[in-house]
Amino acid sequence: MPIVGNERDTVEVALTEREIERIKSILGRDPYITEWGMFDVMGSEHCSYKSSRPKLKLFEPAEENYDYVLAGPGQDAGVVDIGDDYCIAFRIESHNHPSAIEPYHGAATGIGGIIRDILCMGMFPIALLDPLRFGRLKNNSHSQWLLKYVVKGIADYGNCTGIPTIGGEVEFDHSFENNCLVNVACIGVGKVEDFTPSRASKPGDYAVLMGNSTGRDGIHGVTFASRTLTEQSESDRPAVQIGDPFSKKLIIEATIEAVKTGYVRGLKDLGGGGLSCASSELTGDGGTGIEFDVNKIFTREPNMTPFEIMLSESQERMMFIVKAEGLETILEIFKKYETPYAVLGKINDSKLLRITDADNMVVELDPTLLSDFPAIIREEKRPDFLDDLINQKTPERSLKFDEIIYRLIASENICSKEWIYRQYDHEVGVRSVVKCGDGDSGVLRIIGTNKYISASAGCNSKHCFLDPYEGAKGAVVEIGCNIISNGLKPIAMVNCCNFGNPEKPTSFWYFSECVKGMADSIKFLNIPCVGGNVSFYNEDEVLQKVIKPTPIIMLLGYIEGQENIITLPFKKSGNPIFLIGETKNELGGSEYHSVIYNIEGGTPPKVNLDFAKRTWDFLLDVNKKGYIKSIHDVNKGGFLITILEMSFPNELGADLNLYDCFDKDLTSEQIVFSESVGRFIIEVDADKIKEFIVLIKKYKLYFKEIGVITEEKQIMIKGLEENFNLDIMKAKNLFNSTLPRIMEGDM
Amino acid sequence: MSIRIAVIQFPGSNCDRDATHILNNVIGIQADLIWHTNFKERKYDGCILPGGFSFGDYLRGGIIAAHSPAVKEAEIMIKDGRPVLGICNGFQILTEAEFLPGALLRNDTLKFECRWVHLRVENNETAFSNQMKKNEIIDIPIAHSEGRYFHDNLKELYDNDQIVFKYVSKKGLLNEESNPNGSFDNIAGVCNLERNCVGLMPHPERASEEILNPFKNAHGIKLFKSMVNFIKSRI
Repeated sequence: MPIVGNERDTVEVALTEREIERIKSILGRDPYITEWGMFDVMGSEHCSYKSSRPKLKLFEPAEENYDYVLAGPGQDAGVVDIGDDYCIAFRIESHNHPSAIEPYHGAATGIGGIIRDILCMGMFPIALLDPLRFGRLKNNSHSQWLLKYVVKGIADYGNCTGIPTIGGEVEFDHSFENNCLVNVACIGVGKVEDFTPSRASKPGDYAVLMGNSTGRDGIHGVTFASRTLTEQSESDRPAVQIGDPFSKKLIIEATIEAVKTGYVRGLKDLGGGGLSCASSELTGDGGTGIEFDVNKIFTREPNMTPFEIMLSESQERMMFIVKAEGLETILEIFKKYETPYAVLGKINDSKLLRITDADNMVVELDPTLLSDFPAIIREEKRPDFLDDLINQKTPERSLKFDEIIYRLIASENICSKEWIYRQYDHEVGVRSVVKCGDGDSGVLRIIGTNKYISASAGCNSKHCFLDPYEGAKGAVVEIGCNIISNGLKPIAMVNCCNFGNPEKPTSFWYFSECVKGMADSIKFLNIPCVGGNVSFYNEDEVLQKVIKPTPIIMLLGYIEGQENIITLPFKKSGNPIFLIGETKNELGGSEYHSVIYNIEGGTPPKVNLDFAKRTWDFLLDVNKKGYIKSIHDVNKGGFLITILEMSFPNELGADLNLYDCFDKDLTSEQIVFSESVGRFIIEVDADKIKEFIVLIKKYKLYFKEIGVITEEKQIMIKGLEENFNLDIMKAKNLFNSTLPRIMEGDM
Repeated sequence: MSIRIAVIQFPGSNCDRDATHILNNVIGIQADLIWHTNFKERKYDGCILPGGFSFGDYLRGGIIAAHSPAVKEAEIMIKDGRPVLGICNGFQILTEAEFLPGALLRNDTLKFECRWVHLRVENNETAFSNQMKKNEIIDIPIAHSEGRYFHDNLKELYDNDQIVFKYVSKKGLLNEESNPNGSFDNIAGVCNLERNCVGLMPHPERASEEILNPFKNAHGIKLFKSMVNFIKSRI
């Protein structure tokens, strides 16, 4: 990396020679040392999105096309109006690298950061979700260590701040062995009038820094996050910040109380890039300037240099832009909560960021120079190995169907995740209507209204690895199906793109294809993208491994009326079971291939967006009429796994006759184990079958009545190559015991 | 007569709004959220110390809050017979302040546990259980990592009839499987000798509305209704 600076001080920066020359020519001088540090941080991939920006343009501008979107991409969080003066803010981001080397604090500060993103929109945080990726667990002490402490980090931070963790998802795959993924999402609620932009738009307002003191922790956290993991990464541990959920809880309360006064004009959290990022973005976006002395900033230790102060990523800090007449009121609130603060100075119209250290000028530049780094056009190339992988054939089956299904239900990616969510307080706030394990998404009520929201997040990394375009489409549809499965309608999306090194054409191709897939699907489905996060450089140089592409999709659902909410468990014997959606020969990237044969290839699912849209419309329609009693979308492992999961809670069985239900060209194993996207298993009220069928025919959907719910504690399957039975209690025991046995036992 | 209840907000409380919501919107009595340094007992008929992580649970759950001025005010209320309830962290505060017997240790699972459990009413003559039957089963959730009830002289508790709730199975069986945290004798909640101060680890405010309850009942509300009944009976 190049070294820059002057005779007294030098610093190593992760900037290219071209970027260095550009900075010098625009400034017309050599930057001061603190400025170099700020350029370095703000020019990192993490802050500048310099590689991803050209591709992210594929997403339509959300605020322009959707009237209910109050804040879209580029803001700290997306904000949507849900009517009657209420709005919802939500966002997802990654905390992968810190968690890979220090799982507890890495995950905890990830939660801390995403909470601040919601808070700085003026919204009260009400829910967290965490999509995770690790290496395979069994007999792998490193993966178990990462999972244990990531979960503990999320639990300790979320539980203490009183924000319920209502959902998440986890996949285990060897490609995440050392570079685990920790994505964190937060949802906030508030009144439209509380919505506060991250902007200092009016000269004369005060800039107030509030929260914990500034220390030497986390300096260069974002530059660390913007390169691959190597043997030396252990030594980057000091770049990982330490979280303090108790301080955060006070900051949440103080911030919300301050916002409610109406005196807060702008608000920004200090996360990646610390004060450099907050001060330059607030003034840059607001078209204003500010001047302050670094000595006003309260530090954790003496003799910190301006460089360290401006680059520190110490947690639990917020920057308030306060109307002059409200300054005293706001400071009184901070005193009540005993949160330290410093009034840095007044916003002015100079369009300059001027920072002094007593009499010395340490920063003097146009703040937009820091926040607008030029984009880099990256090369992209489809990997050569993909054709062979996709042509991989399913080996000859040697196990009986029941044996395979018992293995699948006990496998790491399909088994119950209760061991994880029991550690999360998922009920605090008394909003959780559909709780972890009861549905495909977490559903919350908005107290004082008849409004309900839900959220689900995830993607199928194995499918994306084989076909990133279709895989990303599949992710949008699958997460949408999770929302639909609880009776809500998807109204907005945010995403978290986890990919390898963008400087490598094959890694960048995966990113590019996934973005295209996401953009095409949400456009077709009329869902605005209101925010996102890109995490590149998820590569482990020691094992020469790139993670499987992981474009995590998070969708927000909305519905009015409690009667529309529906859950997953089978309700009543005698009710017929329907399969909606087309089952195709799509075993590529399936759990069947991976668990039974340890292969990754095959033909991955292709997504029919038109069909998905009609299915969603039908389900929203039929649900309002009350014809359906339970519903679960078909996901990993195929539709028999879906039926088993629906049978577990009330221990109800099913009698299935699959004869003539599927395409004649499909083999029995393709029928059972294919992971074709956009399918649902539905329990229909026995008294309403006729009405149900009339309605579904109107929507021109693929559907089959495949059986009936029974009191027997077994699923009986007829009409395939061989007849077989599945014992519900045996399957349930396998489903529930896998994670505890691995994590508490000695596997 | 209008009843007025104080819900104390310590720094780090996080179930304060939840309890206030139930009292205001479900029970329909006036409940005020009060910052711990501003609380004056005079105006109130009863007081609730809510769940959460007061002072971050630093040092030990509840111990710092036990020295808050609000707890001194609560002590006055307890002494003159007004009802005081500690939920979860509030229970920890009341044991740390020695208003209630025993102590709460780390769960034997060594993990935070968020799950629905079942309680059996052992004593229905307290300020917070008088609207329940003895041996009645209550469906209610827990969410804590330090909830293992400990007492070095359990006989004394039994002799004084101070055990209010025990963890049992759905069918009411007292066994090890239904004990979520390793509490001594499955104890989930206790009272003082005068029966006007009760503490429990489970969260009645999360079990007071059918919409939130997987068993589709609202058993938790009986604790709050008992409090209202107790206040009315004192006049």
